[in-house]
Amino acid sequence: MSKVVEISPTTRHEGHSKLVLKVDDAGIVERGDWLSITPVRGVEKLAIGKTMEQVPKIASRVCGICPIAHTLAGIEAMEASIKCWYPDDARRLRVILQCANRAHSIALHNILILPDFYIPGTDTKINPFTPQEPVRSVAKRIQRIREISQTIGQIAGGEAIHPSNPRVGGMYRNVSDHAKLKMYDLAKEGLTLAHEQMDFMIAVIRNMQKRDWTEVGGKQIPIPKTLGYHDQGYMATDPVYGTTSHSENPTWSYERFKETRPWDWYMGEAEVNLADPSYPIGGTSPVGTKVNPQMEACTGIPLYDGQPVEVGPRARLVTFKNFDEKGTFGQHIARQLEYTDSFYAMLSAIDDLNPHGKVLADHIPQGDGSMGWAANEAPRGTDVHLAKVKDGRVQWYSMLVPTTWNFATCSRALTGAPWQIAEMVVRAYDPCVSCATHMIVIDEEKRIVAQKLIQ
Amino acid sequence: MAENFLGNYKSCVSARATDKEILKGAQDGGIVTQLFAYALETGIIDGAIVAGPSDEPWKPRPMVAMTKDDLLKSRGTRYNLCPSVSFIKEATRSYGLDKVGIVGVPCQVQAVRKGQLYPAGLRDVPDAIALVVGIFCMENFTYQSIQQLVEDHAGVKLESVKKMEIGKGKFTVKTERGAEIALPLKVTHKYNQPGDHVCLDYVAEWADVSTGSVGSPDGWSTVFVRTKKGEDVWAKAMAAGCFETKPIEQVKPGLELVTKLATEKITKNRKTLEERASFGVGKGLRNPYL
Repeated sequence: MSKVVEISPTTRHEGHSKLVLKVDDAGIVERGDWLSITPVRGVEKLAIGKTMEQVPKIASRVCGICPIAHTLAGIEAMEASIKCWYPDDARRLRVILQCANRAHSIALHNILILPDFYIPGTDTKINPFTPQEPVRSVAKRIQRIREISQTIGQIAGGEAIHPSNPRVGGMYRNVSDHAKLKMYDLAKEGLTLAHEQMDFMIAVIRNMQKRDWTEVGGKQIPIPKTLGYHDQGYMATDPVYGTTSHSENPTWSYERFKETRPWDWYMGEAEVNLADPSYPIGGTSPVGTKVNPQMEACTGIPLYDGQPVEVGPRARLVTFKNFDEKGTFGQHIARQLEYTDSFYAMLSAIDDLNPHGKVLADHIPQGDGSMGWAANEAPRGTDVHLAKVKDGRVQWYSMLVPTTWNFATCSRALTGAPWQIAEMVVRAYDPCVSCATHMIVIDEEKRIVAQKLIQ
Repeated sequence: MAENFLGNYKSCVSARATDKEILKGAQDGGIVTQLFAYALETGIIDGAIVAGPSDEPWKPRPMVAMTKDDLLKSRGTRYNLCPSVSFIKEATRSYGLDKVGIVGVPCQVQAVRKGQLYPAGLRDVPDAIALVVGIFCMENFTYQSIQQLVEDHAGVKLESVKKMEIGKGKFTVKTERGAEIALPLKVTHKYNQPGDHVCLDYVAEWADVSTGSVGSPDGWSTVFVRTKKGEDVWAKAMAAGCFETKPIEQVKPGLELVTKLATEKITKNRKTLEERASFGVGKGLRNPYL
């Protein structure tokens, strides 16, 4: 007889989400539902009628962790809709910005996941905030990597959070010779640190992989060798940057995408009948709590070729670099491998950048209302923005953000894990939940907005 | 005790630059150009926001000077508004500066200091400001006002002007061909931009170093060294032989004139502020100092 346990909210990730798990007598997840419970932001509706210049800046505000990905995806969706080419040097600045965002995000994620892991050779979990070595110097290195990435983002993008420099048709301004040198020197320093940090993280992750158990809430929980395995497939559009419908060779396809509703995907009403007050941070929800993932989830379920897919570092590495490790640990390893990749890509873009080159298109069309999309490879996965622009105004806007893709996939990946370490599986996706919430429109013409949710 | 209209300062001298090239195009003693040139050379700053040239004659445009050559382009005073503070964030962004120098009139210096105190919209900027140089300011003009004063009142084309000066009660325009037209300052008053009438700072009291021609003989400038940082930079520049100085007590007209003008400006503007407080029906005009 399976029991229901609820972990709400989940911790150590961006945004607000929860886990509803059906577990067997041994505490192994039979069916897991991970769902977003962040209130809807409504950015897609706010965008309608605004100028194509404004909308990407508004879209950026959906979240502060990957605002760069949203800005770039938003802008390139506009450019795809109006069919505008932008100069090469603007592209290089965008790539620099993209890589800076990725490096800082991986570093931030390191801090969030380290408490799940052990110092190799000991039974001591890592507290990234302890003043003791060896952890203190790792924490300092993480902060320095973040500082470097944010500073580079600030130079190339005008601002590290919500970059002001990118615009439809390229960038507002190029950087000075001095700034180019500064970015290069910083990236060189970052590369060395990224190598060290990658090695450290891989050692820690491999050590965890070899362990038989981990301690959660005072109990020893076995770690299955297949933790986080799923068969849902992967989706990635580029190893570093992304693609648009205006590209010469688009690597994403709108035709292969379909969206289904949460009530077609998540489990229905249930009552919690398993609780553990010793579970970290206040215990799980008490017995008797009513849960209803079908109605509580506020994301659509995007399907690619008819099924949910995984996006993110592992998807990129599987697609472009023949990476073949599955599961939670494979995902962590893939993310660390992207550390150095992002600095190499950044250095090569800085090298190619001509600070005196043109960064704004000569001609910016105003759009005829045709649909354009842009897929940006954000740190945590493919961020697709879709737009229709006519006479410089946005008529329709939609955001298919990384964690929306991952919600359904990760839910399947929970099967087979002891429920106490389900959160570890979730964290491996580096979830960024706040941008993943949507206004769910059932019928565009009759203006019915997810009445099922309001009932 | 008399009210202090000159702000706090550690020392005050009359000075001029020793670099002939700087002096050649300077308004007076070439203090700002020389000080920034020295600070750039020694790495005290890695760039300075100055009033550079623009497409239109005598219209300044903020510019980030990163070499002495850049600084030389911005020598001299152009008596109209230059929105230098608007560049302060960009200097730390696409220009990639870590140590920014900025020069401005008292209201701009106030804005910079306020920005350092409350850095709303100025992420990472406060710590990057390394040297603030202030210039004395009685009043300033919009570009249209200067056009009118020079082209209509003085009757010369802006392009042919070599130098403009305000001093000894006159607004003087000197042309390339040697003509010199002096307008009584009274003529210029109606062209002052309105903020001048409520400003309570004449000598850039919040700068690290502030300077202006008033108080010193022709070709020299009066320099107030105000902060610890200013004192440090000034002492190093002096040791490097950047400036020749005379004690302010030994020059004519000396601090007496500076005090007189500062008192005049501040007293007059306080009165304006009082008048504005009861201006209009029901509510007064805003006092920017409250």
